Amino acid sequence: MTERARVDNARAFVLHAYPYRETSLVVEAYSRDHGRVALLARGARRPRAALRGTLIQFQPLLLSWAGKGELRTLVKAEWVGGGPMLRGAALLCGFYLNELLLKLLAREDPHEALFDRYAEAVARLAGAGEVAPVLRAFEKALLAELGYALSLDRDALTGSAIDPARTYTYEVERGPVPVADADGAAAVFSGRALLGIARGDYSDPETATQSRALMRLLINHRLERQTLHSRRIFADLQTL
Amino acid sequence: MKAPSSLEELAGALRCLPGVGPKSAQRMAYHLLQYDRAGARRLAAALTVAAERVRRCARCNGFTELEVCELCSSPKRDPAQLCVVETPADLLMVEQTLAYQGLYFVLMGRLSPIDGIGPKEIGLDLLAKRAADGVVKEVIIATNFTNEGEATAHYVSEMLHARGLKVTRIARGVPLGGELEFVDTGTLAQAFYDRRPT
Repeated sequence: MTERARVDNARAFVLHAYPYRETSLVVEAYSRDHGRVALLARGARRPRAALRGTLIQFQPLLLSWAGKGELRTLVKAEWVGGGPMLRGAALLCGFYLNELLLKLLAREDPHEALFDRYAEAVARLAGAGEVAPVLRAFEKALLAELGYALSLDRDALTGSAIDPARTYTYEVERGPVPVADADGAAAVFSGRALLGIARGDYSDPETATQSRALMRLLINHRLERQTLHSRRIFADLQTL
Repeated sequence: MKAPSSLEELAGALRCLPGVGPKSAQRMAYHLLQYDRAGARRLAAALTVAAERVRRCARCNGFTELEVCELCSSPKRDPAQLCVVETPADLLMVEQTLAYQGLYFVLMGRLSPIDGIGPKEIGLDLLAKRAADGVVKEVIIATNFTNEGEATAHYVSEMLHARGLKVTRIARGVPLGGELEFVDTGTLAQAFYDRRPT
């Protein structure tokens, strides 16, 4: 990958930011054309820094940076104007999406199509609709983009079409495998739910529950030993 | 010359400070020992005393040397109002406004899922107990207007609404004396989304 000294007006989102020294900020940005980059925003935490109201998550931005190596220097951040800020449970879902990108995408590996899906997911989360279908659609797109597209229309054993009336397990590297006795298997999915996920239709309650379990299974596998904090925290918040 | 081990130990200990790496820690250690032994002794004594005595106020969760801090036990404050802030620095800032006479609760942090900071890491259970003392009528949430602060505000408000309390959030928008021409775009955009009837 060639390193360019300067990038101008890259479409990007802030995924996360943490304080650096007294007045600066390190921004983990996700850009459409350059992938995930770490940027040093000098003076962004000064009381009257103009960057303060701009470098926030879930708002589309145009970022310019310069330099080489792991940490580039942010030169400019421009507000593109999107929707309103995320609120409530949708905000937690936004943090979850950001954590997925931070943990699963390598630095400087552009995924233009995924960026567009992310932008779309954030816009949908800001709306009034249900959050679960937005998460499932993004998880599916993320897995496909990482090279692990779900196989949902044929069973991995015989290659025959998925039967909506049958029960399957999902083998991570292979796909759905029919099971005769559902009791022994850890996680099972109905053929109907698998076909629903393939179509991107999560309206059926069974599909909604099972798609969540399936994505969790596959994402956990990709995460290897990393844990997703936002998942645990979301569960903790439900018990308040 | 190899640095003596107590010097290494000191430099290592200084690295627990935020923003202090190995180089700065070494510089600080050399400075203290070379130019300012009295300062070093004073620092050591102050750290020992503070680490020993300072604890959390049983009511507001802020730092104090007493069981209940002076502010929480002041008869001049209105116990029916409780303001929730992220840090002691935020509390001081609200105090400077002289606009608020109620009591406080300091979370000592904010929800930040990506950093693994959840309701257990900040004192949300302590806040639930504190706000349910029967005297508090209104809880005013003054967490930061960052996404993390907003998430915190949302869950604090849900938790306290469920317990039948009145919950309010401080307003945000264009700063006082602020000319629109010079306000940052994000703030102005939010001011439009949050506009209110007059």
